[in-house]
Amino acid sequence: MSPQADPAPEGDAGVVERRKKSKKPKYSRFTQQELPACKPLLTPTIVISTFSLIGILFIPIGLTSLSASDIVVEIVYRYDTECIPQQSQNDKLAFIQSSETNKICSTTLTVPKNMKAPVYIYYELDNFYQNHRRYVKSRNDKQLRSKAYEQETTNCAPEATTANGSPIVPCGLIAWSLFNDTYSFAIQNKVIEVNKKNIAWQSDKNNKFGSDVYPKNFQQGGLIGGAKLNESIPLSEQEDLIVWMRTAALPQFRKLYGRIETDLAANEQISVTIENNYNTYSFEGEKKLVLSTTSWIGGKNDFLGVAYLAVGSLCLFLALAFIVLYLLKPRTLGDPSYLSWNKNPDGHQ
Amino acid sequence: MMNSMSVPSKRSTLERKLDKLILTLFGGLFFMCLIGAIGSGVFINRKYYYLGLFEDVEQQFNPSNRFVVSILTMFTLITLYSTIIPISLYVSIEMIKFIQCAQFINKDLRMYHAETNTPALARTSNLNEELGQVEYIFSDKTGTLTRNLMEFFKCSIGGVSYGVGITEIERGQAQREGRALNEIQKSDTVVYEKGFNFDDDRIMRGAWRNERDPEIFKEFFRCLALCHTVLPEGDESPEKIVYQAASPDEAALVTAAKHFGFFFYRRTPTTVQLRESHVEKMGNIQDVSYEILNVLEFNSTRKRQSVVCRYPNGRLVLYCKGADNVIYERLAGTNQDIKRLTREHLEQFGSSGLRTLCLAYRDLTIDTYENWNEKFVQAKSSLRDREKKLDEVAEMIEKDLILIGSTAIEDKLQEGVPDCIDTLSRAGIKIWVLTGDKMETAINIAYACNLINNDMKQLIITSETDAIREAEEKGDPVEISRVIRDSVSHDLKRCLEEAQQDLHIFGQKLALVIDGKCLMYALDPSFRVDLLKLSLNCSSVVCCRVSPLQKAQVTSLVKKGARRITLSIGDGANDVSMIQAAHVGVGISGLEGMQAVMASDFAIAQFRFLKDLLLVHGRWSYIRLCKVITYFFYKNLTFTLTQFWFTFHTGFSGQRFYDDWFQSLYNVIFTALPVIILGLFDKDVSASLAKKYPQLYKEGIRNTYFKWAVVGVWAFFAFYQSLIFYYFTTTASENGHNSSGKIFGLWDVSTMAFTCVVITVNLRLLMACNSITRWHHLSISGSILAWFVFIFIYSGVMTPNDRQENVYFTIYVLMSTFYFYLTLLLVPIVALFGDFLYLGLQRWFFPYNYQIVQEIHRDEVDSISRTEFLEIGNHLTPDEARSYAIAQLPREKSKHTGFAFDSPGYESFFASQAGVYVPQKAWDVARRASVRSSKRTSQR
Repeated sequence: MSPQADPAPEGDAGVVERRKKSKKPKYSRFTQQELPACKPLLTPTIVISTFSLIGILFIPIGLTSLSASDIVVEIVYRYDTECIPQQSQNDKLAFIQSSETNKICSTTLTVPKNMKAPVYIYYELDNFYQNHRRYVKSRNDKQLRSKAYEQETTNCAPEATTANGSPIVPCGLIAWSLFNDTYSFAIQNKVIEVNKKNIAWQSDKNNKFGSDVYPKNFQQGGLIGGAKLNESIPLSEQEDLIVWMRTAALPQFRKLYGRIETDLAANEQISVTIENNYNTYSFEGEKKLVLSTTSWIGGKNDFLGVAYLAVGSLCLFLALAFIVLYLLKPRTLGDPSYLSWNKNPDGHQ
Repeated sequence: MMNSMSVPSKRSTLERKLDKLILTLFGGLFFMCLIGAIGSGVFINRKYYYLGLFEDVEQQFNPSNRFVVSILTMFTLITLYSTIIPISLYVSIEMIKFIQCAQFINKDLRMYHAETNTPALARTSNLNEELGQVEYIFSDKTGTLTRNLMEFFKCSIGGVSYGVGITEIERGQAQREGRALNEIQKSDTVVYEKGFNFDDDRIMRGAWRNERDPEIFKEFFRCLALCHTVLPEGDESPEKIVYQAASPDEAALVTAAKHFGFFFYRRTPTTVQLRESHVEKMGNIQDVSYEILNVLEFNSTRKRQSVVCRYPNGRLVLYCKGADNVIYERLAGTNQDIKRLTREHLEQFGSSGLRTLCLAYRDLTIDTYENWNEKFVQAKSSLRDREKKLDEVAEMIEKDLILIGSTAIEDKLQEGVPDCIDTLSRAGIKIWVLTGDKMETAINIAYACNLINNDMKQLIITSETDAIREAEEKGDPVEISRVIRDSVSHDLKRCLEEAQQDLHIFGQKLALVIDGKCLMYALDPSFRVDLLKLSLNCSSVVCCRVSPLQKAQVTSLVKKGARRITLSIGDGANDVSMIQAAHVGVGISGLEGMQAVMASDFAIAQFRFLKDLLLVHGRWSYIRLCKVITYFFYKNLTFTLTQFWFTFHTGFSGQRFYDDWFQSLYNVIFTALPVIILGLFDKDVSASLAKKYPQLYKEGIRNTYFKWAVVGVWAFFAFYQSLIFYYFTTTASENGHNSSGKIFGLWDVSTMAFTCVVITVNLRLLMACNSITRWHHLSISGSILAWFVFIFIYSGVMTPNDRQENVYFTIYVLMSTFYFYLTLLLVPIVALFGDFLYLGLQRWFFPYNYQIVQEIHRDEVDSISRTEFLEIGNHLTPDEARSYAIAQLPREKSKHTGFAFDSPGYESFFASQAGVYVPQKAWDVARRASVRSSKRTSQR
């Protein structure tokens, strides 16, 4: 305080007193809202360079992905209709549900290109809602994990217990509807081994399915949903079940069936014997057999490559278009004449 | 209290609009659920035998009763899609607003008033963003625009203008015209006293003796010292004496006389005693006693005041002071030069916003006086129509006056008021002055504040017309009511016509002046529409002589009638109802009582802080909250829509796409903090730029940032992004994704999608920011990191509980594939591609004003005001020191003052001298005005 402002004779004490009582806020960058900040402006230059950058980055990635996907050789064979004998075509459902009919079905597939081992065998189902709410929850992870929780069948209805009340292991609709078509392959009458080991994710095998849990009372009810399980093999070894129980995201899905660990040469004829057991006919689902090699990117899937390529080229195109636009109709940065009140100086609204 | 109203609870307009948005979202939720429910009813079928839909299936999936299935699925879907309703939005908004109030508004050093040691105070945290949308400000005058401090500022004596001060308004004008004012350094001997702010070496300290005509100076000073009704109190020394005056103007004039060397120190019933210096010769001091023979008091029709006094040497003089037009009518025909020069000075003073009075005198012969005095005594003792007769008698002697000069008193505006008002009006805010004062005073202040200037056409609706006065004299309440009503109705129509014409044809700006009595009728439902139409066409409106209740009525007229956002600012108890009626009430804190502050939503120490409160804090709050709300809307919509698309692929069963924990923590952890940071720190332009370009504020008035169009754009991109998230992640996941040929399940895909959503939504926030502080970086990277930490832990452990271990190990499975990294790069970029393109094109081709301002000042570093603030605390400028010293003085009780004599406090002052107790409250006069008219007209 300047002495002029403080005419009272109390002197320094008074000043100190007043200073103490001062309600003046303390300065801080936070309260004064003056935190250091960078202020990016989305100028045309930045827009153009961002687009160019994305284009330059994405096109090579897209090309690489596409080429990786291109190496992959894939044979897809739809057999749900063809594996029904001619006389049963009108009543596929009766055919598949009957226990008397012969469900063996054979065909030959031609290898289009050399397929290096391992060749993966997939089955593909369609219109199969593994992601249906009733279906997804119909399992009991605790029961699958450990023998001690054999009695746990919460969520498993209607496949929780047998008629007399003893628990089904593994319980629930998912296990009950286990896929049970089988495939065997031969080239010139020489059977090709199908390796069904190690087709499930390691984490599932090790932790989600117990090595001391054995199937019990499984598929004993009136309705048979699908495959039966060997009661002497623990669940952690039942890889078909483990694969099946990692429910798919979409109603059309592939699941790994096994591996052929020999190379297949181009134009080789593979004779495939399919045991067509699984009922997809009641809900008009397709069944496909897929033989595929892999690359680093996985199976044949052009989507990522195409997407990268498309986005990359779109960005490059936009960058070019903007450059042209920028040359034709440049916009000076910070031109005050763009301010709305400078545009119509008369109008106040 | 007759003027009090129940205290309203206020919610901001933005929040009310937000409610509509939430309702729309509920509508959307219902719509989505309906689609899902119908779908589920259609889908469910026994043919999907793997779903186990046998005889005794629960009702929700029972194909034999599809209607029940639909209804039950509806409820399932409501819980599934409930994330579309941003529940955490309200909590976040409250937090943001609270911090804005407690940390930003309350602690803003720019709004700290050192002289009164008052920081700004936000009394509610509800209305921050409302401050960014104010279109109408209703301001009280006394104590709000002015300091209620009358200071003798300039004078014109014998045709020469004296006084070197520069008023605020002159300074403002010079600034606007870019002129530099050569501010004269005040000499060290300048006297600091309340009521006197004058310096001119030509007349101070007896120097007037050397001027051309010293005699006229004597007349001038004596007129000041003699012609008044002031009572001296306390010690009879120039330093300690206290003048008790009906109006601060009078006190200022007498104080001025004291400093000119004519010290009025004692009043007896018949005499006034002066201590005169430098009269005979320099340095000579003598006490002189003047006999006061008659006092012709002031009233509002006379607009002047006279005394007849006898000098010790027997000279008889009538001193008269009054409004210029009244005095000029009564001048003798001589000395045209002085008249002309004084007239020029009067106009100059007037346009500088000063309050002027003319001083004149007349030498009387004994005969003239004796003759007149008889009549005067007669009139004074008459029982009927005494006042009228007295006026008539006075008229007989107050003529052939000789003009001495004029005084100019500064009704001291608060610091920075004209500049603030100018800035606010450039910001598109219309300012109305509602005051209990007389019309002249109000107009004067409006001029001083730059609300009205000579380019504007004034539309005046007043009850001071002959017709009304005549009716009032007759005293028939019904008749008065009818006359006023007719006149108001007529005036309104006339003004409206003129307004339409002038505004649309000539483009002239209009100013409306209306007084309380007329307002009472104009607020009548039948005229209300006209009044509103008229006043909305005017650039400024001045309502004078209004009661507190009328202040509130006018406020609600605009608030409800025009549906614009209003702000009331005032300092006294008479402003309480107005403060409560407006959307935002601002109280002036510091010196006055607390009633206004207690009723207000924000309290500031000075009117000029309104600029910071509105243009900086209000604007920022508004923009920030708009962003917060639209962003919340976007992020929840995006998230829910991905879920919605999934529903179509699950047989409408209501299966969750995301794990329960993902869904619960999405709003709470993974996207919570950055948006709060945005709500606190986002700054499109700095505080100084916001004040430099007040036009930017108009965007708030027009609600540019929270229109349905804006929400629509966000909704569109939410829609687009959700499609990208869902279809890209699922389509890309169909085959095996590393060389082991193994296949993903539902939860792998959903974890992938959720990762993309979290990253994209957080990055989108970064794109919405105008300024990015390290808090932004921290919170955004923190949120993304939090997701990864969470998923690493969550998917890494198995719980012993009986639950589905859906996401067990998913992230590790994902990370072992190239799919994860390729998708992680692709999806956010594709999702943000649309927004980026939109933002780029928008800035390029349809830039907002703030974006241009950003570009103009793109290379400037924000000035850090630290030093500037430290200065303020330690050194007061002499001006500040002076006003500080004045602020410390005991204050007068009467608050309402008009121009010079025109003080409403006047009557009660004399009453109290006569021993009659008249309660003098701040709103007293205004209320009396309304009560009186209501009594007469028996309207209530």
